[in-house]
Amino acid sequence: MRDNLFDRPEMAEAWEGFEPGNWSEEIDVRDFIQKNYEPYFGDHSFLEDATENTKQLWDHVNALIQDEVRNRTVKVDLERFSGIDNFPPGYIDQDKELIVGLQTDEPLKRIMNPYGGFRMLKKSLDAYGLKMDPEMEARFNEYRKTHNQGTFDAYTPEMRTVRSVGLLTGLPDAYGRGRIIGDYRRVALYGIDYLKEMRMKDKINHVGLANEENIRLREEFSEQIRALDEIKSMAAKYGFDIGRPAKTAQEAVQWLYFAYLAAVKENNGAAMSFGRNTAFLDIYIQRDLKRGLIDEKTAQELIDQLVIKLRLVRHLRTPEYDELFAGDPTWVTESIGGIGEDGRPLVTKTAYRFLHTLINLGTSPEPNMTVLWSEQLPREFKEYCAYMSIKTASIQYENDDLMRPLYGDDYAIACCVSAMRVGKEMQYFGARANLAKALLYAINGGIDEIYRDKVTGDYVQVIPGIELNTQEVLDYDTVLESFKKVMDKLAEIYVNTMNTIHYMHDKYAYEAGQMALHDPYVHRWIAFGIAGLSIVADSLSAIKYAKVKPIRNDAGIAVDFEIEGEFPRYGNDDDRADELAIKVSEYFIEALRRTPAYRNAEHTLSLLTITSNVTYGKTTGSTPDGRKKGEPFAPGANPMNGADQSGALASLNSVAKLPYKGVNQDGISNTFSIVPMALGKNLEERVTNLTNILEGYFKRGAFHLNVNVMDKDLLIDAMENPDKYPNLTIRVSGYAVRFNRLDREHQLDVINRTFHEFV
Amino acid sequence: MKGFLHSIESMGLVDGPGIRTIFFLQGCPLRCAFCHNPDTLKRVGGQEVTPQRILEIASRYRSYYGEEGGVTLSGGEPLLQGEFVYKTLELLKQEGYNTCVDTSGFGNPMYYSKIFPLVDTLILDVKAFDRESFKNLTTIDGFDSYLKFINDLECYGFRGQIWIRHVMVPGYTDNEQSMNSLIDIIKPISHRVERIEILPYHTSGVKKYHELGIPYRLEGVKPMDKHKAKEFEVMANKLFATTLQEERKAKERKRQEQYKKLKDREMASDKEKTEMISNLRKLPLLSDVAEEDLADVLKEVILTNIKAGDYIFKTGDPPEYMYLIYKGQMKIYYNTIDGEEQIFYIYTDGDFVGGLNLLEKTPYEYIGQALTDCQVVAIPKSIFDKYFYDSPIFLRSVLSKSFERIRQAEELIQRLSTSNASMKTAGLLLKLVKRIGVETDDGIRLELSMNREELGNYSGLRRETITRKLGEFKELGYIELVGNKVIIIKDIEALEGYVL
Repeated sequence: MRDNLFDRPEMAEAWEGFEPGNWSEEIDVRDFIQKNYEPYFGDHSFLEDATENTKQLWDHVNALIQDEVRNRTVKVDLERFSGIDNFPPGYIDQDKELIVGLQTDEPLKRIMNPYGGFRMLKKSLDAYGLKMDPEMEARFNEYRKTHNQGTFDAYTPEMRTVRSVGLLTGLPDAYGRGRIIGDYRRVALYGIDYLKEMRMKDKINHVGLANEENIRLREEFSEQIRALDEIKSMAAKYGFDIGRPAKTAQEAVQWLYFAYLAAVKENNGAAMSFGRNTAFLDIYIQRDLKRGLIDEKTAQELIDQLVIKLRLVRHLRTPEYDELFAGDPTWVTESIGGIGEDGRPLVTKTAYRFLHTLINLGTSPEPNMTVLWSEQLPREFKEYCAYMSIKTASIQYENDDLMRPLYGDDYAIACCVSAMRVGKEMQYFGARANLAKALLYAINGGIDEIYRDKVTGDYVQVIPGIELNTQEVLDYDTVLESFKKVMDKLAEIYVNTMNTIHYMHDKYAYEAGQMALHDPYVHRWIAFGIAGLSIVADSLSAIKYAKVKPIRNDAGIAVDFEIEGEFPRYGNDDDRADELAIKVSEYFIEALRRTPAYRNAEHTLSLLTITSNVTYGKTTGSTPDGRKKGEPFAPGANPMNGADQSGALASLNSVAKLPYKGVNQDGISNTFSIVPMALGKNLEERVTNLTNILEGYFKRGAFHLNVNVMDKDLLIDAMENPDKYPNLTIRVSGYAVRFNRLDREHQLDVINRTFHEFV
Repeated sequence: MKGFLHSIESMGLVDGPGIRTIFFLQGCPLRCAFCHNPDTLKRVGGQEVTPQRILEIASRYRSYYGEEGGVTLSGGEPLLQGEFVYKTLELLKQEGYNTCVDTSGFGNPMYYSKIFPLVDTLILDVKAFDRESFKNLTTIDGFDSYLKFINDLECYGFRGQIWIRHVMVPGYTDNEQSMNSLIDIIKPISHRVERIEILPYHTSGVKKYHELGIPYRLEGVKPMDKHKAKEFEVMANKLFATTLQEERKAKERKRQEQYKKLKDREMASDKEKTEMISNLRKLPLLSDVAEEDLADVLKEVILTNIKAGDYIFKTGDPPEYMYLIYKGQMKIYYNTIDGEEQIFYIYTDGDFVGGLNLLEKTPYEYIGQALTDCQVVAIPKSIFDKYFYDSPIFLRSVLSKSFERIRQAEELIQRLSTSNASMKTAGLLLKLVKRIGVETDDGIRLELSMNREELGNYSGLRRETITRKLGEFKELGYIELVGNKVIIIKDIEALEGYVL
C-alpha cells in the first residue's frame, strides 16, 4: 500500500500546483523534476544584475577572501570539533542575507575535524601558529581513534612502501575522502521529518542474518537518523523549521543549502560536491514567479546569495596539502544542463542564473561549474556557455551523451569528473597511481629510481619479481612484458590499500549526514586513477619507434635516456602513439578488477590529476620519452607539453580516443588553453568557434574539457602583480583555481603549458 | 597523384570562415621579403600525400567544422601544385566539404578553370600596389600577371567569396594612398569581396632565416604596430564600401540613361501616332476581341495618366484590375529583406501585368511604379472575366510572358547569389533601421525580437555567418553589440556603402 503524500496537509500546502507522480508516493526527486520542470530554449537576455544587498554582501566577504589569499592566514574555531550541530549560527550581515547559514559562527572561520586524522589537524594548526584547547586534545586522544590511525594499524609494509615512494599518491588515509554527494534536494522537497520516518522504516525492515554487512548497515541507519535530527536542529538555530517541506523558492534554496551546509560542517572531504540542482530549483522559482511572489531580480538574488555561501566553504588544510592540490580547492561541483531521457534538455532559466553569478559576483573557482554537454542542448545555451568560458575561464564541460546511457538523467559530478546517480550511488575515492614511475620500475627491476631507505641509504625494491633491464637499446616487447608485471602487482596492492582505507573511513569517519540523504541501499564505485599516462604512451612509443638507450648509474638504475630518431607522440591524432595510451589504461583497469573491492564496490578508473602534476614530476626520475627528472607531468589526460605539434584539434582528437565506458569510467580530464586572438578575430567569432570546438570534440566521444581563453602575457603580469588580478581564475585538471593561490612553480607550469596560439 | 605537403594545422580559426584544417603545401615562386615560412618555399620536399590522404585527415576534423568551416589549402603557393589541388578539391567537394584556397595568385593556370569552380572561399594576398614595389618585395616582376589573375578569376569559373589580405610593413604601405591603391586593385572582383584584412608584419619568422642560413631582407625593420594596422584595416574597409556604392550608382545611372535614350527615340516616332483606340486595337491582346465587343471593352477600361514615381499597384492589392501599358515605362519590384529594392522587370509599351493575378485570383505580390510618365490602361475584372478569361490568344500571351519572366527570374537568382555576406548583413541592418531603429545619442538603437538564427534566416545567411559578420562590423566600428538583443548603429554611411 503506497502513501499518497498529497494527503498530508503540510505536503499538500508545500506542493500546491505541482504535478503529482511517483515522487508524491515515495522519495523520487528525479520523477518530481521530470513531471514539473520547464526546459528553456531562449537566450540570456532575461538575466538581471545583482541587487544592492547582494553586492554589499559580496564586497564584504570578498574583502575577507582577498585578505586570506594575500596574507596566507586562516581563522579557525579552536573550541569545537566538527559536527552538523556543533556550531552557533553565523551571519555575514543578517539584514541583507536572503539565504543564511555558515559553517561556523563567522565567515571563513574553519572547522577542526579530527576524525580523518588527528595529526593532520595538528599539523594544520601548527602551520598557522594556532593551538586548540589542550583539554580537548587530551580528551579526544584519550577516548577516540581516527580513520588515519585505523588505516595505519592495518597497512601492510608494502602498502606503506608504495605510498612513501610516491607510486600511490594522494590516498585519502589522513583526511576526509569526500566524493559523496548527498541528495540535498530531498530536504527541500520532503522535509526532514518524512526522510526520518522513511529511514526508520528502512531500519526496521532490515532484518536477517547478523553478518558483518547487515550489522554495519543497521548501525549506519541509526547514525543517519541521528544526523537527520541534527540537521533539523541546526536549521532551527537559524529560525527555520526544515522538518516540513519548503513552500517557496526562497525556502527551497534555503532548505537545500542547509542540507549541504550540514555536510560541510560534518566532513572535510577533499571534494564536497553540490549535485545537480538548477532544474530542481527552477521549478520552485517558476512557481513563485507565476504566483507573483517574486520577480526576476529576486530570482537572481536567491541564486547569487546561494552562490556566495558556496564560495565561502572552507576546510582546514596543511600548506603541504594546498601545494599537493595546487590551491585550496573544495570542489563544490554543480552539474548544469544535460538532456533528459525523454530528449528534453534539462536546461532551465536557473541554469543561466547559476552561470550568471560569474558575472554578477565576478569569477571564482567555486562552485565548480560543470556543464553537462550534449549534442542536443539548445544552441543558445551552448553559445552562452562558450561566451562565459571566454569571459571567465571558469567552466568545465563533460559529455552527457556518454554518461546518460550509463547513469540516467539524474546523475551529478563529484569532484572533477566522477559521475554518480544522485542519492543512489556513492564513490570510494582512491587518488592515483603514478604509472610513469611504474614504467621506470619495469626497466629498473622494480627499484625506485629516486627513493632511498631512510636508515640504510640504499635503493628500495618496491615491486618484487621484476628483472633489471640491462639492454643497451631498450627492446619494446621486453619492456612491455615487464611493465605489465609491474602493473599487475601494483594493481593488487592498490585495491588492497583502498579496501583498507575505506573500511576504516566507514568505521571512524562515517558521513552520516550525507548518507542519510541517499537511498538506504546504494551502489558503490571504487575509483582508481592513473597519473602520467601521456609520459607512458610517449615513452613506449619512443622505445618502439626510435632507439632509446638508458644511461645507468653504478647500481644499474637508469637515470636518464638517450633517444635516437623520431617517434610519434600522443597528442597528434597519430594512432600509433594514441593506441599505446588506450592499451595501458585498458590493461590497468583489467588488472585492478582482479582484486575484489570492499563492500562489493565496482572498480572504475580516472585519468585525472587533482593532485598537482608539478608535484608528480618532482618525485619521478627521467623517463624514456625525453622528459628530465623533476620536470612536471602533463595534467590529467593532456598530451605532454609541446608534444602536440599538429594543432589543437589533433590534440583534442587524441584525448577523445581514450575510452570512457568500462575503462576510464571515472573520467578523463583534459585542459585546453587558447589565446583569444587565436580563437577568432572578435568575440562573436570566438563564441561560434569555441562552441564548434566543443561540439566537434564531444561528437568524437570525448569526455571532458576545461577551457581557458586568456593571454599568456596576462598570466605573466598576474604572476608579477597579483594585486591587479585579485580574482583571476583559471581551470586546471578538473577544477578551477584562483591564480594567486598557486605558488610560483605552479604558476610557471600553467604559463609554460601548451597555449594554442596559432595565428 | 601526389602532392608535397609541408605541414598541417588541425585548428586554423583565422584562415577562412569558421574552424578549418589548414594544409600547408610546399613550394612558392615568390620570395617575399617578409615571408615567415621560408621553409615552405622549395617546390619539392615535405611529405608526399595523396588527395585521398587529405580527405582522410579532414574527415577526422569534420565534426568541428560547424556551418562555415572546412578545409583550407595554403602554402607556399598551393596553386603551384595545380593538379594535386584540383584532385583534392574535387574529392573534398564530392564529400561536401567547404573549401578555401589561400593564394598569392601565382600558380599553374592550366588548372585554374578546374580549380576555381570548386573553391568556396579564396584568400587572396595583395602583396604590393605597383610594379616596382611588387618586384622589390617578391623579387618577381609579376604585378601585371597578378592583375590579370584578378581580372580572370570569374572567367575561370570562380563563384565564391573572397577575403583580401595585405601584410603591412611599417614604412612601406602604412599610408592612406596605399589603401586607396588596394581598393583600386581589387575593383574587378569587388562584388565577391567579403572581407579585407590588414595583417601587421611580425618578426617571428626571422629566427627561421637565421637557422636556414638565408639572409633576411627586412633585417632591422620593426614589427608593425597592431593597433595601427587595425586602423588601416578599418580605413580600407570604409574606402571599399564607398567604392562599392559609387560603382553601383554609376551602374544605375547608366541604366537610366539607356531608358532615357529609348524614350527619346519613341518620342520621335510619336509624330505618326494615330488615335489611341485604333492603336490599342492592334495590340495582340485585344486582337482576339470581337469587333462588336470592342466598344463595350473600351467603354469599361480606364485610361490613366501616371506621373513618374507614382504607384500603379502595391503589394497586397486585390486582383481587381489588369494593367496594359500604353505608353511609358513601369518597374515591377519588391522590397527585399535585405532592405533593397529588388527590381524584377521593367515593362514598356504593349506589355501587360496582372493577367495571372486575375486568372488565379491572387493579390499582387509586387509593386508597380512608373519610371517615366505613363499611360496605362486598367482593365477591370468584370471585363477581364467576360472577354479574356477564355481567350486562347490572351492565354498564349500570358504563357509566353510567364516563360519570359521565368528566364528573367533565373538571371536574377544568379545576380542575387553574387551578393555576399557583407552586403546581405548590411542590408539587413539598414532594413531594421527603417523598421525599428530609434535615434539615440549613441547612434541608432535596434532592439531585436529575433535571435541570431532568425536573423540569419531573415537575411538568407547561416547563423554562424551572421554572427561572424556582426562581429566584424563591430570591429570595424560600424555597430556596437549590447548583449544578444541590442545593436547600435554607429556608422550608417559605412553600412549603406554595401547596398544600393
